[in-house]
This record gives sequence, C-alpha cells and structure tokens, in this order.
Amino acid sequence: MQLSPDQTVVFTLGNWPVNATIVNTWIVMALLVGISVLVTRNLRADQAPGRWRSALELIVTLIQGQIEEVTRSGARHVLYFAGTLFLFIALANLLTVIPGFAAPTSSLSTTVALTLAVLVAIPLFGIANGGVRQYLHKFIEPSIIMLPFNIIGEFSRGVSLAIRLYGNVMSGAVIAAILLSIAPFFFPVVMDMLGLLTGLIQAYIFAILATVYISSAMAEPPLNTSQKDK
Amino acid sequence: MSIDWVTVLAQLANFLVLLWLLKRFLYRPILDGIDAREAEIAKRLAAAEQAQQEAKAAESQYVKQRAQLLSEQDALLEKALQTTEKQRDGLLADARSTLQQEQKDWRKHLEHERQAFNTRLQHNGAEALLKLTRKALHDLADESLEDAIVRHLGQQLPPIAAELRHAAAGSLEAQVSTRNPLPEATQVLLQTEVQQYLPDVLLSFATDPQQSPGLVMQVGGAQVAWTTDSYMDELAGLLAEDSTATASARLSSSGR
Repeated sequence: MQLSPDQTVVFTLGNWPVNATIVNTWIVMALLVGISVLVTRNLRADQAPGRWRSALELIVTLIQGQIEEVTRSGARHVLYFAGTLFLFIALANLLTVIPGFAAPTSSLSTTVALTLAVLVAIPLFGIANGGVRQYLHKFIEPSIIMLPFNIIGEFSRGVSLAIRLYGNVMSGAVIAAILLSIAPFFFPVVMDMLGLLTGLIQAYIFAILATVYISSAMAEPPLNTSQKDK
Repeated sequence: MSIDWVTVLAQLANFLVLLWLLKRFLYRPILDGIDAREAEIAKRLAAAEQAQQEAKAAESQYVKQRAQLLSEQDALLEKALQTTEKQRDGLLADARSTLQQEQKDWRKHLEHERQAFNTRLQHNGAEALLKLTRKALHDLADESLEDAIVRHLGQQLPPIAAELRHAAAGSLEAQVSTRNPLPEATQVLLQTEVQQYLPDVLLSFATDPQQSPGLVMQVGGAQVAWTTDSYMDELAGLLAEDSTATASARLSSSGR
C-alpha cells in the first residue's frame, strides 16, 4: 500500500522521474486555469455576468470577504496568495472522489512545499507592509529573551500547517483504502462523502491560517507606554 | 512518510506558477470586472440621482407654473366677471333707457291718438248733436235751428241794445256770419228783429265753414255770438275726462 503518490512514477522526463504528485498537481492546475480562462476570456464590464462568471465571482468574493474579516483590509496580494492556496487544496481534495486520483495534498512533499511558500510569504508580506525593521522587531517582543521562542514558534506553526494538511488528507485516503478492502460497497461511499467535507474544511483551515499568519506579520506593532504618553 | 525534496521544489514551482496564472486569468479579470461593474452601477446611480433631482426640479417648476397659471386664471376670470358685470349693467341701462324712451314715445303716441280721437269724436259728436237737435226741433216743433237762434237773439237783444248802439258808434252796417247760408226768411226775420233796436243798421250776411254752428254778429267794435261752442267745449271736456281716466287705468294695468 502506497501512502504517498510521490512513490508512483508516471513517466520520466530525461533523468527526472515525474511522479503522480506532480502530474496530479498539473491536472488540478490545468482545471483551475482552464476554467478561469474559459470564463474570463471575453469579460466585458457592460455585459451582465453569466452563470459561470457569477459562480467564479461568488467564489472570489467569498474568499475576499473571509480575508477581509481576518486582515481587516482588502489587500489583493493576500487574496491572490491565500485564494490560490484554498482553490488548489480544495480542488485537489475534491478530486479524490475520482477513483484512482491521488490528491497531491496527500503527499507530504506538496504540503511542505505549500508550507514553505507560506513561510516565505509571511516575511515578504510583513516586510512589504511595514519594512524590515518592523518585521524583525516582532521577534524580540515583548522582550529580547523571547527571540528564540518566537523563531521556534514561527517554524513550528509552519510545520503544524504542513503536517495537519498532510495527515488529514493522507489519513482520509488511507482509511478509504482500508475500508474499500473490508467493505467495498458501502463504507467507501460514506468515507468519500466525508472526505469531500474534510477536504474543503482542510483547505479552508490551511488558507485561513496562512492568512492569519500573514495578517499578524502585516499588523502594526503595539505602542509601548512611553510612545502612548507622547 | 518521507519528503522528496525534488518534488517539494517542483510543487513549490507549480504553486508559484499557479499563483501567477490565477492572478492573471482569474482574480484580476474577476475583480476588475466587479470594480468596473460597481463603477458603472455607481455611475448609473449618480445619473439616476441626477435625473431624479432634475425631475424634482422640473416637478417643482411645474407646480410653481401651475400655481401661477391658476392665479392668472383666477385674475382673468375675475376681470372677465367684472367686465361682464359692467357690460350687463351698461346693457341694462341701455335697455331701461330704450324702454323708457319707448314708453315715452308710446305715451306720446297714445296721447296723440287720444287727442285725435277726441277731436274726431268731438267733431262727430258735435255733428251728431246738431243733427239730433235739428231733427228734434224739426220733428217736435217744426222749426229750424237757425230760426230758433234768430228768435232767441231777438229776445236777448233788449238787455244789450244800449251797449250795441254804443259799440256801433254810428255805423250803419252790421255783419252776420253763419256756418251755413241762412234761409231768406230767416234773414228777413233777423233784419226785422235787429231794426227794432238798431233801426239804422243794415245787416249783411256771410258764411264761414270753420265757424261753429250758430250765429255771430259784428256791430262796429262789438261782437255778439250765439253758437254751440260752449256746448261743444263741455262735450269735449267730458270726453277728455273720460279718455284720461281710461288711459290712466290702462297704464297702471300694463305697468304691473
């Protein structure tokens, strides 16, 4: 039993074996980009939106609304980043209902890659918003003694992000595989339905946590007592 | 559970590519479209607001003009009523004046008619009276009116004989005037009666159709008349009184 699609090599590109994780990621990417291109290719402001465009607008505005609730601002760059995370993870998890399709998110490599992206994005958004000095100053708050703990906390929440997503998706796939071997007609259907729900929830949790981390990095530092007196 | 770092790098690259592609083909078009639509909606709302304000201004202007028109209409109506009242008063005054003039003319005409009728009645009445008198004298006494008058003159001469002689003042001729020629016998009788009191005076006889029935004698500067004028005047007075009373009764009944 293969626990990760990394172990399944689909084809070899030169000396580089292309595994199922990457291929399935490309499928998800192709679906997302293809649908987006098809819907938005002839977009005109003076035309009333159709069904597909309305659906995409609904999804995008829902994501934007969630991000605005967390960040208290409507920064588009955060939307691009967190929205892409959500859409990618959600679609990858939803496609697990297709027999034989292994979600890329059930690969620890994918979740680690996404976590690395979040860990890189957090300082980038923080520095872009308040500068290097403000961002680094957060590591010595409330005291310089907290510097190692803040660094450890920064990395540990990245690790928790990666392990949580990987564990949930991978465990769902493993459970479904086990139940398929035990009771092939009933439990897999129930588990797949549950997997759809948990897949969406995991996508939401991953994206919203990433947004929270980015938002905390972008937040203004609290004023100390002497600054308040001024 | 193992991490394939090559896959990690590939997935990281895939994610970045997906991020760029979705930004290029999903987020920007969708959000720009929403922004453009919201801007269009805001523009249309502003235009609608502008149109609403213009409509309100037009409505206000219309209400103002309507009130002004109503005011002008009331003024014109009042003016027309006053003009009509004035014209009605003028027409009524003209009608009254015309009516008064017509009444005046009618009364004048009525008076004229009454006078003409009285004159005609007087003349016809006098003629009828004389005719009846003549007929009565002739039928009852076998005597003519002229003879009776001459005989009566003879009876009336003695009291005034002195005055006539004095009036004659030596004149030897007296003229007797009648309406119709006197018969020869009557002329002789009259000459005889007069010569008893005025012996030197000779009578000459003449006729005057305009004269009243009877006899008028001119002696010098004196004149003695025995005519029916007084009776005719009395008859005319009675007729005039009667016609006046009738006309007054008619006027009072028509005035009601």
